Amino acid sequence: MRRSVLFIEDDERIRRVVSLALRREGLEVAEAGSGEEGLARLAERPYDVVLLDLVLPGRDGFEVCREIRRVSTTPVIMVTARADSRDVVAGLEAGADDYVTKPFVAEELSARIRALARRTRSPGARPRVVVGDLEIAPADGVVTRGGEVVPLTRTEFKLLAELAAERGRVLSREELLERVWGYDYFGDSRLVDVHVRRLRVKVEADPANPTIVTTVRGMGYRLPG
Amino acid sequence: MSLTAVPAAPSADGPAVEGPRRRRAPRTPSLRGRATLALTAVAVALTVALAVGVWVAATQYLLYTRQNVTLAQAVANAAQVQRGLSAEGLPPAELLSQLPRETGSVSLLADDGEWSTTSLRIGREELPEALRGAVAGGQPSRQRIAVDGEPYLAVGVPLAGLQDAYFEVFPLHELDDTFRVLGVVLTSSVLAVAPLSAAVGWWVTRPALRPLERISAAAAAIAGGDLGARIDPRGDPSLVPIAASFNATAAALEQRVRADARFASDVSHELRSPLTTMTTAMSLVGSCADALPPDGREALELLRSEVRDFEQLVDDLLEISRADAGSTDLALEDVRPAALVREALARRTAAGGGTVEVTVRADASDVVVRADKRRLERVLRNLIDNADTHGGGLTAVTVERSPDHACIVVDDSGPGVPEAERGTVFERFARGSGSTRSRTPGSGLGLALVSRHVQLMGGSVVVTDASGGGARFVVRLPVAGGTDGGA
Repeated sequence: MRRSVLFIEDDERIRRVVSLALRREGLEVAEAGSGEEGLARLAERPYDVVLLDLVLPGRDGFEVCREIRRVSTTPVIMVTARADSRDVVAGLEAGADDYVTKPFVAEELSARIRALARRTRSPGARPRVVVGDLEIAPADGVVTRGGEVVPLTRTEFKLLAELAAERGRVLSREELLERVWGYDYFGDSRLVDVHVRRLRVKVEADPANPTIVTTVRGMGYRLPG
Repeated sequence: MSLTAVPAAPSADGPAVEGPRRRRAPRTPSLRGRATLALTAVAVALTVALAVGVWVAATQYLLYTRQNVTLAQAVANAAQVQRGLSAEGLPPAELLSQLPRETGSVSLLADDGEWSTTSLRIGREELPEALRGAVAGGQPSRQRIAVDGEPYLAVGVPLAGLQDAYFEVFPLHELDDTFRVLGVVLTSSVLAVAPLSAAVGWWVTRPALRPLERISAAAAAIAGGDLGARIDPRGDPSLVPIAASFNATAAALEQRVRADARFASDVSHELRSPLTTMTTAMSLVGSCADALPPDGREALELLRSEVRDFEQLVDDLLEISRADAGSTDLALEDVRPAALVREALARRTAAGGGTVEVTVRADASDVVVRADKRRLERVLRNLIDNADTHGGGLTAVTVERSPDHACIVVDDSGPGVPEAERGTVFERFARGSGSTRSRTPGSGLGLALVSRHVQLMGGSVVVTDASGGGARFVVRLPVAGGTDGGA
């Protein structure tokens, strides 16, 4: 099955050449030159992954990302020019699942797209896990609290499901990057930290004093057993 | 475009800045010393003038008073002697003994050439000829004399109508004693004023010169790279105008440096979009390289390595200029160097760089440092790249620990870094002495970035000799000792 990607980027040359490269990698690529156009295309049909440049005319990437998050759980990879800036964290906070830095390598980008598209499918038959009033059902891909569905993105869900599968054990950031994002050595641990933060806001009663996803200093994260 | 126009940031990279900064020995005394000296000189001069004035006035006055008192007594006694001689006809010796006299004074009477005296020590011979002559001529006179080395004042009064004269000799040694005491007091006060005024001057000039110290401290801070250093004029009104102009100058300088750095940052940032197109287009062309003729393939290979270096340069330039522009995105967290080194070496292996295993000393396997993980990864990558591209290949990476530090030691098999170049090797675009201006692979910013990042994380980096003969880079980072629970 061909993965489909929506590439929202205003720089026409980059858009053209990256589309060429991704198509050569076997992906189906749709192009959008602005945030508005991208959102319109996303409304027409579903895509496996959205590739979103942060610098856009009109509505900027952060805004577009928040808008995408409001209407869908499609994984978003943001494209940024600066790996070290607050842009990365701000983009992740806005709801992006991953990021790449310009200039990027087409092969690596397509590998990330595939990893995100793959892991957004059902993560296999795992037992349900109940933490307090929270119920995690990996088979159904939903988390409920008191019978009501907690709205998680697919990455947030995957993160929680991995922690639940290893309940009681500490998972390092590197392990989580590998399990959730499918990276070995190339990940950025900020991905994990920001997603944990987002997850806590949604599942914890008091995100400042987490009881479900707890930090083990210098080690990683854990779902208490 | 000249990308070498990196902002001349005042903070140098690397341990070179830690070298002894020669300070010129002050040949002339310090301002404070000179101020104190001047104050002391003025104080001493004033005291001396005052002491001399007091001495002259006091001695004159005391002498004048003494003379008046003695004259009055002598005249009164002379009148009594005259009455006694003319009316009562008493013998002169008895007459003299009845006279009221102050202690130590001696009365003498010359009665028709017959001398009577109340003292065994002082008689006619002790009175000078001039005095006796003047009194005999009917003129009351006085004269200072010395008897057995002691000072006296002799006063002579002619007795009216008689060929007689009354003399009285008053001791002056008490007055001399007074003068001596006064002299000692005045001299010692002059002597005491010198050190005292020096001490007071030293003490008083301190607050007066404190503004100067604050200005020089701020200037030194700016020279040392802290562009944000300013003078806070609060608590010292005299500092306000100079602080205002100093701060304005410093702010202008800071803005200028930041603007330069931002320009370099913007330039490299702008270059990233075309670079993305170039690298992606090149990899597309590369995937159909088999269809190219041999010379086309070689040209593509050259283009590829050039674009790769260009990419690295833009990347490093962006990072270092952001640091110059005062980027404050330092994200300190607990990091295990051993794990990070292992990952960095695995990446190198994955990229086809061969296999080098990290050696972790027994006590260093669990050591945790407070570091910015992204920056530390960059430091490791740059050191490994440096070893591979300039040092003849990476030979060993070791993680050690000392009580307060974790050390990451990177060895290569190259010729090493000569002693003389160890300070400059961390400077921007520093090239080894062997290759003056010839181009070598890499951006020329890798080690500068290493030094910059390590310093930012509170550590240090030095280069020494590896045991095998190559260069050894040692990164020292403070061990995490905090108790905060953040992750």
